[in-house]
Amino acid sequence: MSVYKFGTDIISLFYALVKAVQVYDLNNDVVVKAAKKIVYNIKTLLNIYSHIQLVRYMDYVFFNKQRLRFEIDGYAALQFIHDKLKNLAIKSITFSPGIDEEEMILFTSIFKNNKESFMKDYEALKFTNIIVEFSTDEDEVPDFLREGERIKRTYFKALKVTRNLMQNLWMNQPVDVKSSRRIIYNLIDSLSQDEFGLLTLTAVKNLDDYTYNHSLNVGILSLALGQRIGLKKQMLAKLGSAAILHDIGKVALPKELIYKSKRLTNEEWELLKKHSDYGVKEILKTRGLDETGLISMTIAYQHHWNFNGSGYPVHDKNEQPVLFSRIVRICDSYDAMTTPRIYQVVPYLPHFALRVMWKLRNVWFDPLLTKIFVQLLGLYPVGSCLELDNGEIGLVIRQNQGYPDQPIVKIILDNKEKRVEDKIIDLSMNGDIKIVRAIYAQKYGINPATYFI
Amino acid sequence: MDNGPGDIIVSLAKAVKAIQMYHISHPSASNFYNPLYEKMVTYLKEHQIVEYQIDKFKINHRNKVVYKEEEKETSVAFRLFRNGIRNISFINGIDFDELIRFLKIISMSSKDEDIALELWEGDFEHINFYVIEEEDEIIDYKVPDFAEMDVDYDAKLREIIARENIDLNAPIQPELGSEELQTLKNEIDEAENSSAIPVAITTLISYLNTEKVHEIINSLIELLELCMISRNFRDAIRIVNKLNEYPDINPIARFETESIIVGFKDVLNASSEDIFNEFMSFISHFSKRSIPHFINLMAYAKLSNRLSELRKRVAYIAQDDPTTLALLLEKDDINILVNTIATLGLMKSRETVGLLQPLIGHPNALVRTEIIIVLVELDDAARIALYLNDCDEKVRIKALQSLAKLKYTVIYYDILRRIKSKFFKELDFSEQREYFNCLVANGGHEVITELQKMLFKWVLFGRKSYSIMRKLSAMALADIGTEHVLNILKRGAKKRNKDVNNACQMALRKT
Repeated sequence: MSVYKFGTDIISLFYALVKAVQVYDLNNDVVVKAAKKIVYNIKTLLNIYSHIQLVRYMDYVFFNKQRLRFEIDGYAALQFIHDKLKNLAIKSITFSPGIDEEEMILFTSIFKNNKESFMKDYEALKFTNIIVEFSTDEDEVPDFLREGERIKRTYFKALKVTRNLMQNLWMNQPVDVKSSRRIIYNLIDSLSQDEFGLLTLTAVKNLDDYTYNHSLNVGILSLALGQRIGLKKQMLAKLGSAAILHDIGKVALPKELIYKSKRLTNEEWELLKKHSDYGVKEILKTRGLDETGLISMTIAYQHHWNFNGSGYPVHDKNEQPVLFSRIVRICDSYDAMTTPRIYQVVPYLPHFALRVMWKLRNVWFDPLLTKIFVQLLGLYPVGSCLELDNGEIGLVIRQNQGYPDQPIVKIILDNKEKRVEDKIIDLSMNGDIKIVRAIYAQKYGINPATYFI
Repeated sequence: MDNGPGDIIVSLAKAVKAIQMYHISHPSASNFYNPLYEKMVTYLKEHQIVEYQIDKFKINHRNKVVYKEEEKETSVAFRLFRNGIRNISFINGIDFDELIRFLKIISMSSKDEDIALELWEGDFEHINFYVIEEEDEIIDYKVPDFAEMDVDYDAKLREIIARENIDLNAPIQPELGSEELQTLKNEIDEAENSSAIPVAITTLISYLNTEKVHEIINSLIELLELCMISRNFRDAIRIVNKLNEYPDINPIARFETESIIVGFKDVLNASSEDIFNEFMSFISHFSKRSIPHFINLMAYAKLSNRLSELRKRVAYIAQDDPTTLALLLEKDDINILVNTIATLGLMKSRETVGLLQPLIGHPNALVRTEIIIVLVELDDAARIALYLNDCDEKVRIKALQSLAKLKYTVIYYDILRRIKSKFFKELDFSEQREYFNCLVANGGHEVITELQKMLFKWVLFGRKSYSIMRKLSAMALADIGTEHVLNILKRGAKKRNKDVNNACQMALRKT
C-alpha cells in the first residue's frame, strides 16, 4: 500500500469517528468501535513511520508529507476534515505511538467546538500522544485573497463576461474568447477553494437578465458537479466553457420571443426549441472547431436530450447524450426551475426542485449524476429558507458533507418572527433541532440576497 | 534564518532571464535552471511547500521581500502581476519537466501572452497560484430588488406538490454503491480519454438531417480534414457519406492533391490493420483525379499485400475507365509504370492490351515482368510466349511460370524443342527447372514418355553434363506423381547407371 492510500484510509476513519462522536454518546459502541479502528490503523502505521501527521496548508491536506487529493470516493471525508482543520485553525495534528482509544475519543469530542473553545479545551486536556499545531496569522491568506470578496469579484466578473459575450453575439460583434477562458479558470479556482461560495451566489437569482444569469449559473453548477465527480482541471475548463454557452442558440431567435411575458403559443414553443440547433451554428461562429468548441457544440445540441432517449431535437433514442450534456441537463433544469421568470413568477423551492429531479432520475436525468448533484447541494441547498421545529426561520448557508438533510443554517427570525443577528446552527451537531419544512423566504419578508452578497 | 525561499526566487529570476536571452534548450540557460531545480527540491523536501506573494515589482515570502526589480521589462514580479497572478506556491513532488514547462511560460512576453491563462492551461500538479481579475476594474454588484408580491406562498407550495405529485417524506439516499461508483469512474475515464470529434460529427450530421446549412457543411469538411490528419478514417467516411447526399458538394475534391495523398504513406505501412482497412474504404470515395497521386503513393508501400490492396482500390476508383491510367504509361519513372500497369491489369479490360502494346519491349525488365503479370490476368498466353526469348532471365522465368499457370498447350512442342536444343544447357538450373515445369503443365499424356526417354537416354559423350537433364526429368516425373510415374522412378533407382540412379533416388525422396 502507498502512503497515499494510508492517508485516505486514515482520513475516512477519522471522519467516521468525528461524525460518530457528534451523534452518539462517547461510550456508545459505535464510537468505541470507530475509535478502535482508527487507533489500530495508526498503531500499525507507526510500526512503519516514526509518527503520523496530518497537515493542512491552504487548500491542501497532507498525510505524512503526501498531498491528498479530492476524488470522487472519499471526497466528503477529505472535504469535511479539511474544513474542520481550517475552521479550528489547526495547522497539523501529529499522532505518536502511545495513543489509545480513550485519548482519541476525547480528542475527537472537542472537534465540535468552535475555534476558541477547541484551543482552550486542547490546552486543558493535555493530550500526550496527540500534538496539535495551530496556524499563525502569517499562514493565513492575505487580504486581497480573502475568499468571500474574491469569490464575489469572480462571480460578478463572470456575469459581466457572459453578458458581453451574449450581447456581442446578439449584435453580430466579435466575442472576447480570451476573457471567457480566463474567467472559467477563475471560477474553477474559486470552486476548488470554496465550493459553497460560488454555489451560494447561484442561489441569488435575478442579478442580471435571466439569460445571462442562468447561463453563468449553469456553468457554475456544472463545474461544481464536474469537480465532485473528479474531473481534471483541463476537462473542467472545457465543461465550464461549454455549459455557459449551452443556451447560446437563443441569440439566433427573435428577442421578442425570448422576452415574451405571456404563455408561448405552440408555434412559438416549437421555434424556441430550435435554440438547440441554432446553438450549434452560434458555437461554430464563436469558438470554431477546437476541442472546447466541439464539446460546446455538442452540449448546446444535446442539453434537452433526456436520459431515456426522449427530448429535443429529435434524435436516435439509442444515442446517449455525452457525459457533459447529462451534467448540463441536470444543472440547466435545476436552475431554470428555481429561478423566477416572467411566466414563472414564483419558482420552485430548491428542495422541491431536487425532489422533482430525484423522481425523474432514470427518465430525464442520469441517475448517478443526480445522486452526486444531491450530495453536492444537499437536500436543502444553500439559499433555502427553512422553518425549524423550534419555531425559528433560517437560511441554509452551507452543507454538511455526508449529511444532506442536516445543513448549517443562519437563523434570521426567532420563534416570534423577530430578527436575529449572528446565530448559526449546524444541524448535524444539534440533533434536537429538526427541519419542519422548506418555505418561500418572501413569505416572511426575507430577501436571501442581502445575506449572500 | 532560512534563506531558501529567497535563493529560489533569485535563481528563478536568473533562469527566466537566461531563457529569454537564449533558448530554453541552450546550455547557457540550463546553467541557470538546473541549480534552480536543485535548490527547489532540497527546500521542498524539508518544508513541503513554498509560497510567494506577488506585488507589482516585488515578491514576498512570509511578508519579507525576497525579490525586487522595478524595471518592467525584466521584472519577474511585474510579468506575473500584470496578468493578475498574486500568489504562487511550489509543492513538494515537483519534477524537472514540470519546472521547465513553468519556466517556459513565465518567460513568455507578458505583453502578448496571458501568462495566467497559459499557467492554468499548463495544468501543473505541484505549482499553485491565485489569479485575480483586474483590481482597478469596477465590478458593480448590488443586492437585487426584493419584489413584494401578493402571493399566497403556502398555496403555491401546495399547488406545486399536487402538480408534481411530490412525496415530501419519500427517502432520498444519494450515496453511490461501489458498482455505481465504478460505472461513473469508467465514464469519466472515457470522457477524459476520448476525442470530441466523433460526437461533434454526429451532432452536425443530425443537424443536416433537418436542414441543409452551409456553415454546417463547411464545418464538416473542416472536421473531415482533422479526421484525415489524425488518421481517423472511420469518422471521415461518415462525413463523406453524409455530404455525398448533396450532388452539388464534393467533400473530397480539396483533398485530392499530391501532397495530401502521398502524405498517407505512413498509413500505407501502419502497423494497425484496422487503420489501413479504414483508409482503403475511405479512398474509395476519391475521384479519378486522384489516381496519379495514388499511383505515386504506391512507391512507398513496404508490404506486398498492402500494395496489392491499394492497387485494387485504385482500379476501383478508375471504374473500368483506363484513360487516366493510360496517361501515366507515358511516364519514365519505373515505379509509376510498374504500378500503373499492375493497376490496369486489375481492371481486366481488353483495352488494356492495346494500351500496353507500346511497352511490350520496354527496356526495363520490371516493366516487362509486370506486363506478363497483366497478360496472365487477361489470359493472353500467346503474348507471354514472346517473352521466352527475352534477354532477361527473370522475365523469361516469369513467362515460363505464367505459361505453366495458364495451361497453354500449344506451347508444348516449342518448349520440348527448346529443352532439347543446345542452348538449353547454357541456362541456369532455375530456368531449366521452369522449362520442365512448363512442359509438364502444358503436356498431355505423352509428356511422361518424353520425360522417361530423357531420364533413361543412353549417352556416349557428355555424360556428366547430361546428368542435369536426368535430374530435371526425374524431378518433373516426381511432380506428376502418379503411381505409374513412381514405378518408373523406382525402376530407375535400381539402375546401375549412377546418374540415373541418383536422379531417381533424389526424385523419390522428394515425393
